[in-house]
Parts: sequence; structure tokens; C-alpha cells
Amino acid sequence: MNKSVYIQYLSLVTPLGTTVEQHLEAFRNGSSGIRIAEKSGFQDSSLPLAKRTEITSNRYDSLLREGLENIQMTLPGNTAGKIAVIVSSTKGNLDLLPEDAFSSTRTIIRQFFPEAPVFIISNACISGVIAINTAADYLLADTYDQVLVTGIDAISEFVSYGFQSLFALSSEACKPFDKSRNGTTLGEGCGIVLVSKEKMLNHAVLYKGGSSSNDANHISGPSRTGEGLVRSIERTFKRSGLSASDIDFISAHGTATVFNDEMESIAFGRTQLDRAPLNSMKGYFGHTLGAAGILETIMSIVSMEQNLLFPNLGFSETGISVPLNIIQHLESREVKTVLKTASGFGGGNASLILQKEG
Amino acid sequence: MRVLAHSYVCPNGTFLNGKLIFDTKAEENPLKFTYQQLGTEYPKFYKMDVLSKMAFIGTELLLPFFPESLDTENDLQLLFANASSSQHTDNQFVDSYEKLHNPSPSLFVYTLPNIVTGELCIRYKWYGENCFFIEKQFNAKNYVEWAQMGFNKGNTLCLCGWIEAKTTGEQECFLFLLSPSRETQTSTETELSTLIKQYRNE
Repeated sequence: MNKSVYIQYLSLVTPLGTTVEQHLEAFRNGSSGIRIAEKSGFQDSSLPLAKRTEITSNRYDSLLREGLENIQMTLPGNTAGKIAVIVSSTKGNLDLLPEDAFSSTRTIIRQFFPEAPVFIISNACISGVIAINTAADYLLADTYDQVLVTGIDAISEFVSYGFQSLFALSSEACKPFDKSRNGTTLGEGCGIVLVSKEKMLNHAVLYKGGSSSNDANHISGPSRTGEGLVRSIERTFKRSGLSASDIDFISAHGTATVFNDEMESIAFGRTQLDRAPLNSMKGYFGHTLGAAGILETIMSIVSMEQNLLFPNLGFSETGISVPLNIIQHLESREVKTVLKTASGFGGGNASLILQKEG
Repeated sequence: MRVLAHSYVCPNGTFLNGKLIFDTKAEENPLKFTYQQLGTEYPKFYKMDVLSKMAFIGTELLLPFFPESLDTENDLQLLFANASSSQHTDNQFVDSYEKLHNPSPSLFVYTLPNIVTGELCIRYKWYGENCFFIEKQFNAKNYVEWAQMGFNKGNTLCLCGWIEAKTTGEQECFLFLLSPSRETQTSTETELSTLIKQYRNE
């Protein structure tokens, strides 16, 4: 990459709050957004969920509006017309079924950014990471100067019942990479980042490159060899001109299902990343699907700014075949270069690298 | 950019490079009929949702046009889009828990549009980049832009798809194979816009 691409956070709305300060506080203290929600599962079963309790109806639209209203900055490009919006969401607003579940997304974005073209990426749990990668591709092609990337998904009966039918949900708050993990926990949130050619605020970091790769293995189960994730990481290294020894921190996907976390450990072992400090943030946010890649990228930028490594909430004993350097205690340390990864249904794997300038 | 080949699957028939290959106007189950006509052995086909079935048929027909010199295992990018996401299966899944009181895992796994590209990658052992967009309608300009962005970062071939299965019954799958060349992006856009109109008889 010859040109610089910057990325910075603009907004995040989750059960942990609506400001970066609130999230920093929660991550420092190891506070989770996950609570047991009575009668939220199939046939009134109780499920642990990371649910934004302030929202009582029309969850998806409310969350999207809240995320957009929460942007604290005036975007110069909004008037210049060289700004685009990419939305990353796996399901859109499911209340709109049987009709188009994504129609309200466009309407709401247009209320905030009337001039900007809107692109929606729906590629399962890797949507957020590939949305950021696509934003960078648009800048490098000189199509836009700034791309606002919004990741969003809301908790719904649809998704809860679906994950329950697959026996993929944990009975308590999920425990990524832990020996006793037994499934993921669903969450909801909206995260917004700005990907831009120019550095616009002091907390912007460099986007160094990214890629995706398919496992070519199974539509709903991860590859046992981590092949797709390995190929994506290797491709991202090649595109960014960086290597495993440059990585100070990995923000892993870590859903806390038995097979996913095992797959990731194998992939990180195969790419010589098993000694790099790593966490999954699912213990704080739950699995927020289309928002996950964005929320976790935002907290990775916070890690870089604060030079803080946040613990992998829910982890106490290693339960994967390739031991990883899972962060167990809050640690102050220079965090210059970060690898973010994601994996999802449909065999998708994606990764990107962020780096502090200078 | 150059269009190397294209296919179109709809309930009335299956087309390759503009020519009708299988006429299914009189068929009760056009996709099953077409699959059987292909003579391909891939029993997983029967488990797939409508989107994946259409994409499977359309891709099988395009295979002879993939340049052999390229590393399709790694450098083929899949760029797919539609307006209705996985709506057809989404509504079936809702019925499974609302009407039958038994959420169906085999339906749930198809309630994501990118399962289509996943199925293709599994079938052909493609490990390249994938992206699924939700768009209001087929937009040739966007495909050409996305494909060019993919070529800029080293992908050498792009399989694109506009693939729709609405609950109202509307079904179509337009696939086209793009490769970098000297042709201008505008001429490729015009070609694609014309092709889909011809296939739709517009």
C-alpha cells in the first residue's frame, strides 16, 4: 500500500454504555455486558445475553439511530460529497420480515447522511472486518475520501432460536478459549468507525492492510485445520508488508464454541502467532455478529491509545490444543501493531492490521 | 475489464452466454430438473437452499471459461449481491418456530446470504476472497468498481453474481466472470447492463 489510510472510532453503543470512557472503564474492571435474560429463549427458556436494556422496542432501528446520534464529530466530507457509508449487518431489522429486512437501514442512514451512497455488507460474522477492508479499498481506488463504517445487529428471537437449535449457546456467560467453554453468548450493539485518507482526529491509527479467505470446508462449522484463517492472515501480512514478529496484540474472534476456538488456536500456531498477547472480547460484548468486527476494532484502537492489554474475560484454564498467550490480567505495555481477525458461517475468515503512526 | 462468460438461471430456463441451454417452462421443479440434466454428481445439491442451487447450476456452466493459467484456488474473488438477502429461507425458518414450534437448524444455517458463496467455495475448493452486498437493484457500476478494487490488491479473476429468491416467488441468478484487461470500465458496465436486460426480456 503506497497511500496512507487512517481509521478512528466515532461511536459505540452497547450494553456497556455509549462512550469510549464507559467502555474503557468496563474493560479495565473486567465488567461484562452479559446478564441472564428471563424467558428470552425458545419456549421461554432463560439465556445469558448482552442486551441493551434501555431499548424496549424496535431494537434494530433504535440501536442504529442511537449509534448515529452518538457521533461526536462534524464530518467535513458530509458536505463535500466524497463520503460513503458502509453498513455491516448479518440480519438487518428482522421485525420487517416477511418483507425486506434491510429497508429501514437505508432510510435511517439517509436521514443522517443524505448525500452519501450506502453500501450494505452481509457476510455473516466477518462482515465488520471485510466492511473496513472494503472501505480502505474504496479510498485506495480514489472513489471516496472518507468511508463511515457502521456495524450493527440487534438481539432477536430469530437469531436466539437459531443458535439454540444448533446447540451453539452457552448456559452461562461465554468463556472464550477456556477449557469449560460450551458455546457463545449473543449480544447486540452498534459501532461506527471512520476510514479516511487524511488523519482527522488525534486517535486515528493507520490501517495497514487486510484480506479475507474462505475455508472451503463446511457452511456452519469451522475448518479443523484453520486453513481459511491461516490463508487470510498470510495474505494480510503480505499486503501490509508486516509479519508475525511485528504483532503486539491480536484481537481474535473467539466465539467460545468448542470448535471455533480450537480452530483459531491451530491457525495462530500455524502462523507463528501463538506467543502474541491475545484476547477475545466476546466475554464483554457477547457475540454481536455484524457489529463484532467494528466494536472489537474500536476497542483495539483504545488498547493502542492507552497502551493497555485487556484481559480475555471468562478465561481461566487453557482448553485448546495449541497454547496461546491469552491475556489474563490488565497489563500496561506498548501496543503498536494489532491484528484483528474474524471467522464465521459460510466458511468466511477475515483479518486486518492496524498500526500507530511513527 | 473483460466479461469472459456469463450464465442466467431462472424458473423458465437456464442460459449460457446468451443461449438457452435448458428450457424449464414446463417443469414442476426446474432446479432439480436442471441439476439432473447437468449430469454432475453432487448429492449435497439436494440439501441446499434455492439461492445455492441456482448459483451451483450457473457456476457449473461457467467452469470451462475459467482461464487455466490462473491460481483460482487463491486469486479468484467472489462478489455477490442481491436485494432480499436470505429472505426466502428466513421466512421458512420463522414458520418453523412460529407455526411448527420447532426451530429448524437445517433451515437456520441457510439464513445468511453468504452461504451461497460458501457452498461454491466448498464445491470447487476456492480459498479466495468473498463479499456479499445487499443492494436495491442490480447495479453494473458497483460490480465493476468492486472487481477493480479486487484486481488492485492482487486478485486475478472475479466471479460475480446477482442472485435473488424472494418470498413472492421472484427468482433469478445472473453470474459473470470478470478478468482485468484494457477494456474500459464503462464499456464493461454497459455490457453487463445490456446482458441482464436481455436475460430478463426487458
